[in-house]
Formats: sequence, structure tokens, C-alpha cells
Amino acid sequence: MLREAPAGLPRQAELAATPFFPQERYQCGPAALAMTLGAAGIDVAPEALVPQVYVPEREGSLPPEMLAAGRRNGAFSMTVPPRLDALLAEVAAGNPVLVLQNLSLPWVPLWHYSVVIGYDLDRTELVLRSGTTARTTMALSTFEHTWARSQSWGMVTLAPGRLPRTAQEAPTVAAAVAFEQANGAAAARRVYAAALERWPQDLALLLGLGNSAYAAGNVAAAVDAFRRAVAAHPDSAPALNDLAFALNAMGRRREARAAAQKALSLGGPWQEAVRDTLRSIDAAPRRR
Amino acid sequence: MRHTMKRLITYFVAASFACLGVMQPAQAALIGAGQVVAAADAQQNRAHIAALLERPAVQARLQELGIGKADAQQRVAALTDDEAAALADKIDSLPAGGDGVIGALIFVFLVLLVTDILGFTKVFPFTHPVRR
Repeated sequence: MLREAPAGLPRQAELAATPFFPQERYQCGPAALAMTLGAAGIDVAPEALVPQVYVPEREGSLPPEMLAAGRRNGAFSMTVPPRLDALLAEVAAGNPVLVLQNLSLPWVPLWHYSVVIGYDLDRTELVLRSGTTARTTMALSTFEHTWARSQSWGMVTLAPGRLPRTAQEAPTVAAAVAFEQANGAAAARRVYAAALERWPQDLALLLGLGNSAYAAGNVAAAVDAFRRAVAAHPDSAPALNDLAFALNAMGRRREARAAAQKALSLGGPWQEAVRDTLRSIDAAPRRR
Repeated sequence: MRHTMKRLITYFVAASFACLGVMQPAQAALIGAGQVVAAADAQQNRAHIAALLERPAVQARLQELGIGKADAQQRVAALTDDEAAALADKIDSLPAGGDGVIGALIFVFLVLLVTDILGFTKVFPFTHPVRR
């Protein structure tokens, strides 16, 4: 329960620009997802999402597939912490939240996806796009009862480069890696760059940034990112390996070999990859 | 004739050495964020192995649940290891948000009417919870 408003939260917020798609029968999942994607500037019709999330025999859509479909359509999707204050903070930050509720009781469940687009703390209610209703309000306490039955599951689908206000480091890194796998390394560059503004030392994020720069053909930017990774993690064989690889791609063999040899001296599970890099440095045509 | 034979053998031997000579080492590559995350987290590693084994089962189950083969394939490919593992474990017990219709038993109707009014549920559009 929300005993008191989190500090710094405005009393009211409403993301009125969030588009609305009335749901077809059983298809609140595709409709809700189309709304949050639309809010991120990704125009997809609910019908196009049906083959991506709807499960006919279950007459509904499953939460893991909702996250996956968000990524498939080019959004950075991740769950938000299962707390009302986090939900409100996301809405206040401009991110509509797709929530799963059981509107009924556990023994006669009525599972339903809707989109929280606003709240009013003075009236203690939430504003939602839900079902066939473009704007409905629900008492905060009713929402909490119905939301708790899904373990307070909620997700956002954001334009790449935006992050949830309440995101924690490890889930954000996992979501960024998942985004890269779905959309390719080059497309993930903005996601890694945004996450690094919050967690500038994170090894996986730094390697992700370098890999995405390299994939986009910007080898110099890749070298910069890998240098940052080595500076923050001098004993990381993957960081040194990637720096060596990128330096070699720029024709800077001597520096590349030094980095690879340092990586080799560290031992550990990356030795095979490092040896391959070292061999490719030795095999590279000598520069004139 | 003999000379030709010798030359042939020489060519053959030379060619096989040449093959050895240019044999490529394993392809050098960048190590990506995903590999580093997976390696740092034994739990993730297990999820990865489990997901590898379970993805075909998830796809088969999705097809049984009424999804076409091509769609099921793409949907399974879009899942992360954790998501695939979650589906493998719980595909039939995970809540499927879908706004199903509740069997219209009069008892259920009355109970839900009361819980709606108390604000514990929100099944009927015409109910307004008592504010406490």
C-alpha cells in the first residue's frame, strides 16, 4: 500500500498523448502493447501483434511474450519494479506502464492487461486505458488488490535511448543485451549509451557500446569504448581482447598485440578467444 | 611418363602443404556484452543451457495451443533464455491476460458483486467501490 506519496512526485500526472486501441475479445494484450509502443513512437496495429503474443487455446497473452514482442517491434522493453511507487514514478517520468491485473478473485481469475497513463494522488485514483474504454479511473486501493494478484507485474516499452526512471542496473543490462539480440548490435548503440550515463563503469555495457559501434562501422568509437572498459576493469580479459581486436582492425598492431598479451597473461576462461585474436594480429598484413 | 608422374606427385604433395599453410585459425572475434553477462552469472549459464534444451518443447507447446508453426518458431526465437525457461516451466500456469468471460454462476456473480463494491475486485463496469 502507498502510505504516503514518494518524495518529489507531482500530485497528478496524465499521459494524454498515449494512443488508444479498443480491444477485440480476449485481445487486451495486443491492444495494450500497441498503445505503449505507440507512445514510444512505434506505430503498430494491435492486429499485427496478435500473431506475436496471442495464445488461442489460453484465450490470452503471456507476460514473457509481451516483453519479447516489445523488443521485436524495436522498443526497449523491460519490467518495472513491482511497487506502486515505482509505477507512479514511471508515469510521472512520461512512461505509460502496461500492467497485468486479475480483476476477479484467485479462484475465478479474470486476467487483464491495461495501460496506466496517469494518477491523481488527491483523489487516490489511477487513470487507465483499458479494454474498450479510452479513459477510465480506478481507486488506488482497488488497483493494488487486483495488481497484487499478478505479483504486481508491469512493463514499459520505450524508444531506444530512453530508460525507465526506476530501473536497476542488473535488469537494465539484461534488457539491453536482449534488445541487442533482437535488433542487432548496431541498433543497440543508443540503449548502451543511455544506460552508461547512469552506470558509467558497467563492464557489459561498455563492451556492448564498443561492439555496437564496431558493428555500425565506427572502429574509432569502438576503440574508445574498449579503452574505457579497460580503464575501469584493468583485469578484464574480455575488455583487453576487444580492445586488441579493434586496435588491430585500425592497423595499430603493436598496441593491439600488447593488449592481447596482457589478456593472455590473465589466464582464465577467455584464453581461447584471446589466442584467436593474437593469431589474427600476427596474420594481419604488415602496414607499409 | 615417369617424369610426369613424379611431377604430379610433387604437385599433389605441394598442394596439400599449401593447404596446411593457409589453413585459417579459428575466427578471431569481439567478445560481446551478452557473453560477459552469461559468464559472470552461473544462474544465467544454467538458464542458457536449459533454454537450449527447452526451446523446441516450448515451440511444440505453442503449436498445440493453436499457434501456426512459423509464428511459433519466431516467437520462441524472440525469447531471452530466462523468458524461454519461464515459459518452459509455466506455460500452462502463467496468467494469460485476456479478459476471459467468467462462468455466470449466480453464486460467483453475487460474491464478485460484493467484492467489487468493497474494492477488492473490478469485474463489473457498473460497480463503484466504497471509498475507505
